Amino acid sequence: MKKVVDVSLPIGPVHPCFKEPARIKCETAGERVIATEVELGYVKKGIEKIMVGRPWQETIFLAERVCGICSVVHNTAIVGALEKISGIAVSPRAMHLRIILNELDRMQSHLLANYSYCYTIEHETLAMYLLNLRETVMDAIEIMTGTRIMAAYVVPGGVREDISAETAGKILDAIGHIEAELPRFVQMFATGPLIALRSKGIGVLSVADAKESGVVGPTARASGIARDAREQEPLYAGLGWHMITRSEGDNFARIMLRFDELFQSAAIIKNALAQLPDGPVRLGGRVTAGRTTHTIEAPRGDLTYDIELDENGQVISVAIQTPSIMNVEVGSHAMMKNLASAADVTSTFISTDPCIACAER
Amino acid sequence: MTLLQTLKNAVRKRSIHVCYVNTGSCNGCDIEILACLSPRYDIEQYGIYVHNNPREADVILITGAMSAQWIDKLPDLWDKVPEPKAVVTIGNCPISGCAFNRPGALIDPPVSKYIPVTAAVPGCPPRPTEIISAILGVADILFENYETKTEEKP
Amino acid sequence: MSVASYLKEFCRPGWIKKFFAAKTAPLRAPAHFRDFPELTGNECTHCLECRMICPAPGAIDVVQRADGKWEPQIIRGHCFRCGYCVEICPEEVLASGDILAKRHEQNLAFTQEYAVLVNPKLCMGCGNCCTACPVNREIDPDMGAGGTSVSTDVLMRIEKGKNTVLHNDLCKGCKVCEDTCPNGAMHVARRVEAIQTEGP
Repeated sequence: MKKVVDVSLPIGPVHPCFKEPARIKCETAGERVIATEVELGYVKKGIEKIMVGRPWQETIFLAERVCGICSVVHNTAIVGALEKISGIAVSPRAMHLRIILNELDRMQSHLLANYSYCYTIEHETLAMYLLNLRETVMDAIEIMTGTRIMAAYVVPGGVREDISAETAGKILDAIGHIEAELPRFVQMFATGPLIALRSKGIGVLSVADAKESGVVGPTARASGIARDAREQEPLYAGLGWHMITRSEGDNFARIMLRFDELFQSAAIIKNALAQLPDGPVRLGGRVTAGRTTHTIEAPRGDLTYDIELDENGQVISVAIQTPSIMNVEVGSHAMMKNLASAADVTSTFISTDPCIACAER
Repeated sequence: MTLLQTLKNAVRKRSIHVCYVNTGSCNGCDIEILACLSPRYDIEQYGIYVHNNPREADVILITGAMSAQWIDKLPDLWDKVPEPKAVVTIGNCPISGCAFNRPGALIDPPVSKYIPVTAAVPGCPPRPTEIISAILGVADILFENYETKTEEKP
Repeated sequence: MSVASYLKEFCRPGWIKKFFAAKTAPLRAPAHFRDFPELTGNECTHCLECRMICPAPGAIDVVQRADGKWEPQIIRGHCFRCGYCVEICPEEVLASGDILAKRHEQNLAFTQEYAVLVNPKLCMGCGNCCTACPVNREIDPDMGAGGTSVSTDVLMRIEKGKNTVLHNDLCKGCKVCEDTCPNGAMHVARRVEAIQTEGP
């Protein structure tokens, strides 16, 4: 298919205003961007292949390294799949701790996504406020697990270590700090006229397009699709989780939806800490043969592990479906079309919170 | 040493422009570099600026374990960086390939096979404090007496 | 309106205080951060459990010092700092962050069992695995270069041109045979369970 265009503008993989290792090819007519194409493959490592033949204590580390930003959720997903295959029971306390850590992870990921967006539209003040707030969440994760990223906290049959009452207090303090600070930044974002110029009505993903393309996560929910894998987890409903959707489907809606989810995550963590039952955190349990598919909600959308094990608990085959691949593709096919300016390409791309490392593995 | 050289050394030490290149990392090291920008660590107060533009960079920060796509592109990119220049690798991946260095993986570590590496920060991922300490540690000597150094070269 | 909101933002006492008293966090890690494992001074018994559980390729090695004592070595650039070696070591030779304190407080432990699996289609009987195996070396130091041995107490030896596992229960799960096998015929299945014991 040959199109007549003024300039074919490549952005990436190393570009001053684009931080992801991917290339966006834009077909432009003057300043207007007619169509875009995303070229992936720069960080393909073949993780699914090297997972084969390895027991859980090695695969959880490889699964974490699928994505450094949402490492906890990959860890939880693969361990959830192993537990489903082997019928391993998890104690209630460990389940609550997993939810607390997953929501902390979601908070830091959403803060980072909103930081990236504000940085891409060159609102650096707000971006730095959000990035500094993210450090508070990272501190809470570090107190809980002992490291900032790649915590390896979830193990089959429970979690790696228990938290003390003092640690729980510190996590509550961090959440309190975020809940006190964040409304100011949300208000700055929601009422800033320059931000509205760069965000409202740009990169619109209509409900029809969203339904057709199979988009997931906050990007889908900002286009009015009520889709969240946390629905399937009964514990979340008891902790005050409810579906948040918006109908506009533009860049502004996606960022505001993430802000709303941040408050919800903070509330879930507070409820989980308040209801934290007593008991052991590691029940053990042998990983056995079988095959299953397990889906949980990552910060970017549905994350699915399809995994097959042998009788020694070693992986025979594994397939990972990460949310970013759907969001990246729909970004180029539906959102980054007929944009008024080439500057909107990167901001629209970043507003879907793409994780190229996730998408390629 | 001339006064001019002293002045050049002092200025170069306090003005380091950084470009980071993700050659197949998991984003873990990248976000730790981003965290260095945050007001808590504030890497800009040391005169280190992240521009992500190879043509105006002094230091290339490399994360990742050399995926196949980068094997031809990274030396090209390195040629485009103006002198004086240096490479600092962040994390385990550029050193050893980290968890991915197993039979069948589509990577080819270490990065030093392709471009000359000045310093490496181990860790998976290193903390922002470790990254800043490492960069500050090499900042003093990285471009010191650069002119005389190049004269010594054959 | 926007100018006013920005002015209001910059007139906040918190902002002014931070602007005039700017200071960055100290460049050191907090005490609870799990850094690279360090030696505590306890004597290593060469049980190789750290090598067994280590998820990073080539991150830990147990070496013999000049005075004959064993000592684990962490190789930077390979180590993830996951702390599993600290958590599993029965002699508490290594320490990192507050892992040891939490292990005592919460009775954290691992159970493990191993199975040495040989793929007879790939095994060519070179004996590299048998001579490299640290268990074999202790039981029969005179083992032949081809992996043959007169002793039947060894973990594995070459019989009729193929590797034969004699005593699976002796395996320490160190994966040395896997690393030295040129054909990928050796595999050590390691079943590990993370448990919490009732009490000390």
